[in-house]
Amino acid sequence: MTDQRAVNIVMIEDDEGHARLIEKNIRRAGINNNIRHFTDGTSALDYLYNDPSGPSHNGPSLILLDLNLPDMSGTDILAKVKSDEKLKLAPVVVLTTTDDKVEIQRCYDLGCNVYITKPVNYENFADAIRQLGLFLAVIQVPDPQPA
Amino acid sequence: MPINLQLSDRRFNRLALLGIALGFALLLGALATVVTSFNAGQSSTELVRHTDKVIDQLSLLNVELERAESGRRAYLLSPNVYRLQTYRDNVRIAPQTLDRIAGLTSDNPVQVENVAKLRGLLRLQLADMQRSMALVQANRTVLAQAEFAAASPNSIIRKVRGVTEDMRGTELGLLSERSAKLDQTVARMRRLLFATGIMLLLVGAASFWLVRRYTVDLTRTRDRLHVLNTDLEGAVLERTAELQRANEEIQRFAYIVSHDLRSPLVNVMGFTAELEETNKSLVEIMDRAEREAPQIVTDAMRHAREDLPEAIGFIRSSTQKMDRLINAILKLSREGRRTLTPEMLPMDRVLADIVASMEHPIDNAGASVEVETPLPNLVGDRLAIEQIFSNLLDNAVKYLDPARAGRIVVRGRSKRGRNIYEVEDNGRGIDARDHERVFDLFRRSGPQTQPGEGIGLAHVRALVHRLGATIDLESTLGQGTMFRVSFPETFSDQGVAE
Repeated sequence: MTDQRAVNIVMIEDDEGHARLIEKNIRRAGINNNIRHFTDGTSALDYLYNDPSGPSHNGPSLILLDLNLPDMSGTDILAKVKSDEKLKLAPVVVLTTTDDKVEIQRCYDLGCNVYITKPVNYENFADAIRQLGLFLAVIQVPDPQPA
Repeated sequence: MPINLQLSDRRFNRLALLGIALGFALLLGALATVVTSFNAGQSSTELVRHTDKVIDQLSLLNVELERAESGRRAYLLSPNVYRLQTYRDNVRIAPQTLDRIAGLTSDNPVQVENVAKLRGLLRLQLADMQRSMALVQANRTVLAQAEFAAASPNSIIRKVRGVTEDMRGTELGLLSERSAKLDQTVARMRRLLFATGIMLLLVGAASFWLVRRYTVDLTRTRDRLHVLNTDLEGAVLERTAELQRANEEIQRFAYIVSHDLRSPLVNVMGFTAELEETNKSLVEIMDRAEREAPQIVTDAMRHAREDLPEAIGFIRSSTQKMDRLINAILKLSREGRRTLTPEMLPMDRVLADIVASMEHPIDNAGASVEVETPLPNLVGDRLAIEQIFSNLLDNAVKYLDPARAGRIVVRGRSKRGRNIYEVEDNGRGIDARDHERVFDLFRRSGPQTQPGEGIGLAHVRALVHRLGATIDLESTLGQGTMFRVSFPETFSDQGVAE
């Protein structure tokens, strides 16, 4: 793994406040990877599929996904990502306020890698993000262009 | 439904019975009238016959006396055996005839008197004739003829005739009097019979009308029932679907609202924490400034240093409370959407398990819980039933009166197709004005000595209603509380809870 192959963090989150808090905590956990933030599903999917620096063309990515988006459901994005040959390699972390068991199970069934409930208790939230940092450190990013 | 226009079964039965009884009574009355009239007619005939007989006998007596007299006269003129015989025969039978008259008229004092008169006259006449005959037989015919001639102008026979005429008159008078009376009776009876007939007709008509109306009512009701039966299923389905739709909407609403409320709450909490962090460094700077250059620190800054943590503390505790409330709504909405699975629950075991799981708080409260076995078993959703009873027991343990040893009793019984369970404590009780309120979401009663959001009983009631059961409470402040849950014997899921 080299610096050029650093993992891009794609954050799909419609709430600016949440996005800011997530980013702060990611940074506080000592993770300095690039973060691309999208507030709606359409532009996020556009980036994921078509952007030259996006995960389908280039570097490895980690997707942080909120389930409640204004234009589509997060699970729709999850399903699309996980049904795409290239994109499905990117780990997806679902980060949402829903702690409904049915919803969680559905996300795991669709292939999400981690499901984190946004707790109102901020300390827990910060902890969860820090755990995410650990997760980021240990993920193995497959080489998109095998030698 | 025009139920007020219809006869109730009881009223109809009473009226019908009354009609029949009245009809029978009238028939009996009519029969009695007919019998009486017939008897009166017979009496009338009897009377006429009687009078005829008396008159007949009176005439007979006259005739006999006349014949005896003419026998005597003829004999006086020319004695002859045949004439003697006529005289003797009639003299012999005349008293017998008089006896018969006496017998026939013994009931009438006037006639009895007349008969006595007749008897006297008869005796005189007979004696007179006897004497004439005896004189003739002794060949003193001339004397006899002279005596006879002397007596003839005011003859006894004429007197007898007068008396019998009187008697005949009296008898005829009596007859017409009695006949008139009888005629009156008969006329009265006829009127009575007529009236009875009319009343019978009326009762018959009324009964007919009553039965007809009742039958019409019955037919209408039956038709309506038929229509209802046919429509019922559709109507029930339709309404159930409507209700379910409404319920689902409320559920979805609660779910979405609680979710969407959580999202800004995350921000409020998050940035409050950030603010706190920032404030910490600001306070450090201020502390340093106060130490090194106190002249630049103003009073306003000092106040801010104290006020900020306080404000942040309030924001924090409020958001935490809000989070708990939202979670409660979420929990209720989720509970409402859970699928219930009915199973036969051995309630003795279920309650024993709940009590065992609460051993620690029960011991801490120094309370005793008694389950009065056997409890009636119940078909229901295990989780829902467990939640209902553990909530009730939990409340009982939480709100005991510290002044006395806690005693909690659980008992149950089956009554008229329902299984009724009671959880009774001798705790601090609930004020009467809060008896309904305690079941409302976020509402609590009495001194707030225990943590909680006022969710437990709201949850219990939602579950109870969903199981088609009812819950109520009896409580006296300072004496204790009894919650009573009444389940239908058969399990039914009332759909999504409210």
